[in-house]
Amino acid sequence: MNVPSEHLLYLAAGLFAIGVLGFLIRRNVIVVLMCIELMLNAANLTFLAASRQHSTAQAANLDGPVFAIFVILVAACEAAVGLALIIALFRLKQSVEADSLSEMKG
Amino acid sequence: MSSWVHLLSLDLAVVGLAALVMLLDALASLRGRTIGALVVAGLVGVLIASFQIDVTGTTPHGAYVSDAWVLFFKRIFLCAAILGVLGSIEWLDRHAPKRQAEYYALLLFSLVGMLLLPGARDWVLLVVAFELMGVPLYVLAAYAKNDTTPGEPKLAAEAALKLFVTGAASSAFTFFGLALLVGLSGSTSIAQGAQMSPLATVGLMLVIAGFGFKLGAVPFHFWVPDTYQGAPTPFVAFLSVAPKAGGLAALSVILMSTGWVGAKELWAPAIVVISIASMAVGNLFALPQTDARRLLGFSGIAQIGYVLIALAAATEQGLAMALFFIAAYVFTNLGLFLVVHAAAQDMGGHGIAEMSGLSRRSPWLGGALLVFLLSLAGIPFVIGFWAKLFVFLEAYRAGLVVPVIVGIVLAVVGLFYYLSVARQTFMAEGKSDEKIHAGAPLSAAIAVCLLAVVVLGLWPGPLVESANAAAAAFLGGR
Repeated sequence: MNVPSEHLLYLAAGLFAIGVLGFLIRRNVIVVLMCIELMLNAANLTFLAASRQHSTAQAANLDGPVFAIFVILVAACEAAVGLALIIALFRLKQSVEADSLSEMKG
Repeated sequence: MSSWVHLLSLDLAVVGLAALVMLLDALASLRGRTIGALVVAGLVGVLIASFQIDVTGTTPHGAYVSDAWVLFFKRIFLCAAILGVLGSIEWLDRHAPKRQAEYYALLLFSLVGMLLLPGARDWVLLVVAFELMGVPLYVLAAYAKNDTTPGEPKLAAEAALKLFVTGAASSAFTFFGLALLVGLSGSTSIAQGAQMSPLATVGLMLVIAGFGFKLGAVPFHFWVPDTYQGAPTPFVAFLSVAPKAGGLAALSVILMSTGWVGAKELWAPAIVVISIASMAVGNLFALPQTDARRLLGFSGIAQIGYVLIALAAATEQGLAMALFFIAAYVFTNLGLFLVVHAAAQDMGGHGIAEMSGLSRRSPWLGGALLVFLLSLAGIPFVIGFWAKLFVFLEAYRAGLVVPVIVGIVLAVVGLFYYLSVARQTFMAEGKSDEKIHAGAPLSAAIAVCLLAVVVLGLWPGPLVESANAAAAAFLGGR
């Protein structure tokens, strides 16, 4: 049972692409936020897979996992602030669709 | 105390100040104005300390470096924060009287992120500092979610959400790009660079895209005009300058470090394209704007285009002049936004049409507005002229002829909209002749900006020298 690290990288690239696509086409702000989380988790997976490639049986490369922990931390902060902003928007407009974000144009 | 903690003493002092503000808010029933004054005093103290104490050195493993380069940026950030807080005191007192301390604390936390940026030599430290700078800004942009200028719709939530969505997506891009770069090189040191390969190129471009967002450069500029229009104006004064200086610091640290400066032929064309696009979009879209804040948003995009030419030159002189430009931009744009804020409070809105007769209702605000506009337009003998001249000269010396010509042509276009605002304030008849009274802290902030713009415009030598020293220290010690 040994998955090659390349496969993990392909999976991560696929997840990132899905995230970007969703970010561009979905209209619901909460779903957009979820797509951003997907992109961040694709980054985490890449960090871990690359770190695994650099590790040997004697010495584990820990840069990737450490970086991933920081990414999780940043993602948590962003989610907290983002959801609070979405609640503020919902109280104002009774909607979380991107179309309700169109007071300002030009 | 470890031997390297003193390198971070300025940053730690600001952290302490933020904690003190939150504690005072919880324990003592101080007036908001008192807390604001305390924050200003504390930051001025830190700024003075930056000239008095020696904080230069390198941490073990070289993750953080403190030198003339870092100090130059730290002083810019501290000045911007002091002026931003001064400009906010009255607005907060009037519009969010119960939540004043949080505003200052959030602004200080964002400032800590900025202070850590220019010295970071490790990807982890760099991106965490960058996020620490960014996340409090999302909150601050929504600070006036329930009240705005009478007669204008409630825009703050929308403004903040647009800032947040673009910001969060751009940090996702940065992290994915970094995952590729760090994965390829197997090290989190920025100076390590990576073997150039198609995958490393993709990674580097994603990282540039992520940092380009905070600069508000094209094509990451969509949030700029909307956020400037919807967020509280005194906060936008800070938002429009400090994070841009932070973005410039981060981009320079990445691109000019040993690992990447060798790959110049790879990233310099990308920066040139972004720069030309920013100058074009910023200057041309500013022309039809009727809201002063939106106009300044687009003008800010154009100004960032000028800075990026200097960065694309990738020389020591070019970098120094980018620093000079951003310092000039901080004082000019901050001052201009504060004047717009002061005027809009009494003139019934932020539209350019509402500015008519400003010079009659308050000659000194009108005069300050004119000086700042001339500086942004690049008219001789104010600081903005030298900034543009030096940037164009250095880029020309580095062989970037096309962007310089485009820049000069578009700067002439810029002259048109800057002067049309000036004409509105000086020539057009106002609705009334009643005097405008900006409060003391706001007036003080505008006066400091005005003084900096005029004095440094007449006597730019010392600032040029310290920018040169900063660039030399950065490139020499890399």
